[in-house]
Amino acid sequence: MTHSSKSGVKFLIAAAALSAAAGAAADPSTPPTAEQQLIEQLSRQLQDMKAQLNELKAQNQPMAQQLQDLKAEVNQLRAQGPSVAQQQQVVQSVQAAPPPQALATSARASSLFDNLSLWGYGEVYYNRPIHEPSRTQADLARAVFGIGYTFDDRTVFNSEYEVEHAVSSASDAGEFEVEQFYVDHQLSNWATVRGGLFLIPFGLLNEHHEPTAFYGVQRNFVETLIIPSTWREGGFNFHGNTDLGIGWNVGVTTGFDLSKWNYSPEYPQYVTALELEDNDAAPLQATHQELSLSNASHLAEYVALSYNGVPGLTVGTAIFTGNAAKVPAPPNAPIPGNQRVTLWEAHARWTPGKFDLSALYAHGAIANLAVANASNPGSPNPIPSAFYGYYAQGAYTIWQNDTYRVSPFVRWERYSLGSRYEGTSGPDIPQGELPISATPGDYGFYPVNHDRVWTTGANFYVTPHVVVKADYQSFGDNKNFSRFDLGLGLNF
Amino acid sequence: MTPLSRLLLLPVVTMTVCAPAQATVYMTVAQAQKAMIGDRPVTPVPIVLTPEQTLAVERDTGTRLVDGTLRAWKSDDEYFFVDAVIGKHDLITYAATIGSDGKLRKVEILEYREAYGSEVHNPRWLAQFTGHQHGDTLRVGEGIQNISGATLSCQHLTEGIRRLLSIYANVLKPANG
Repeated sequence: MTHSSKSGVKFLIAAAALSAAAGAAADPSTPPTAEQQLIEQLSRQLQDMKAQLNELKAQNQPMAQQLQDLKAEVNQLRAQGPSVAQQQQVVQSVQAAPPPQALATSARASSLFDNLSLWGYGEVYYNRPIHEPSRTQADLARAVFGIGYTFDDRTVFNSEYEVEHAVSSASDAGEFEVEQFYVDHQLSNWATVRGGLFLIPFGLLNEHHEPTAFYGVQRNFVETLIIPSTWREGGFNFHGNTDLGIGWNVGVTTGFDLSKWNYSPEYPQYVTALELEDNDAAPLQATHQELSLSNASHLAEYVALSYNGVPGLTVGTAIFTGNAAKVPAPPNAPIPGNQRVTLWEAHARWTPGKFDLSALYAHGAIANLAVANASNPGSPNPIPSAFYGYYAQGAYTIWQNDTYRVSPFVRWERYSLGSRYEGTSGPDIPQGELPISATPGDYGFYPVNHDRVWTTGANFYVTPHVVVKADYQSFGDNKNFSRFDLGLGLNF
Repeated sequence: MTPLSRLLLLPVVTMTVCAPAQATVYMTVAQAQKAMIGDRPVTPVPIVLTPEQTLAVERDTGTRLVDGTLRAWKSDDEYFFVDAVIGKHDLITYAATIGSDGKLRKVEILEYREAYGSEVHNPRWLAQFTGHQHGDTLRVGEGIQNISGATLSCQHLTEGIRRLLSIYANVLKPANG
């Protein structure tokens, strides 16, 4: 309206000027007084129009205000009106939003199911040893489901149940396990007490072992063979973290049982890398108890500290020590003293931008084994007094779009399942080709219990919760273990 | 030391250094409001998205909008939001302020319920969001550093902040200037 009025005024002024000029040109003899009269007349008309225009402007202002008010009312009606709300995404209900002062801290659960949480994760492998393709295997390695229950703001129960290798029965290799079963009770913002069966806070992987959380189809060897992930014990701990980024965890738990050790396996305990990881051949894998009728005559204690006060950086260390249930004493040769198992580790992870760099060192020791090992001469599998492993890994996100992400990585690791022995010079490994399994005609070489492994591959995240992986692993010592792997993992 | 005496020692030591407090509630909404915008008066703001705006926000952030978790208030020169995201499998409630210049001012964790990952409460991690605005790249690994062991909480909180900035830019700013 305002715009068209201005145009009209301009038109009138132009018309007046034109008619005045035209009049002058048509009749030069016309007295000046008549021209002046005409101009004055037009000028008066112009003044009148200006006045009218101002009047219109004044009327327009309240109308604009009314329009704003109407818009606000319409918006409010939209928020309240069910018919409109049905067509719109109501992210927030205006009626349910009183000023903050009047809000409770959170809605309280109104039914049993509000307090329950469910989650799960799992992974499928395809492992193809490149030198021995006949040993290629595919496996639903684990399917895990978790159930949690919140009793109140300070008391929470969490549990995880795992089926390994898809089928668990007397004639299958699979197992059904309770992986975690604990109650947390929070004492303050930086201290919580936990009791039950829980994961030991060691390394980068043990507590965070979902397939989306690590690079490569399978977990690294160091955090499988030296730190026996998924490592859990029964007991209780106190843990927390501070605003400065210092995490702490201290606990008393069950420990290891050396009486489960097998000094005289009939065949090598593993002839592929997959079997090395799965067959409980490593010292702490062979002797952990998992709270299954655990020998608790001795308890162990641990301390774990971490620092993540600088965004992107995590460093940590942990030590676990406790007397183990002893190796059965040979006849007429009692074993004096205790057999103490001590494991410690240090780790760091740094994620500057698209890089993800990590390194870890872990070392284990078992004391007082001279008599036990000496009473089993010629064993291909004596108990080591020391074992260790370390790795360095680098990953880089080369492409990310929407929920997709591709992160290639490379990892170098070294491990020894027996770097020092007491009462023996080490494993007495049979030489040459020999039967390596109960399968008739299955001949091969006995593996050595140490290796250097290069792993190169990539994680392809379909979503942050679904990952497809591929890698190639090259073994320096047990060269027959070199393999190509594919994997599918998920968690929710 | 016998196993029993060791069992008793830990709780005794810990109880003496831990004062009882509210569990996972770092702040109430009222405390967050006081800490983040002071005593300035606020009015609740209805956040109603048209289907087009919903689509715009979802495309913008690569996340899906869900009903019912977001609450917002407006003071003279900023918006105060309270929202919740899933951490690993439980909700994390957080508050954030966005100034009239469209820049994120502060983020605070109000309640954390997970057994793992509470490191996201670290003030230095939360400070990474300050100053960011709609259009900035905000992803874990791109603009926001990860916390090892709290990856999902980091990712989901970052998505939550992306959504707030997008809702501010696509809905609140056009409506209120």
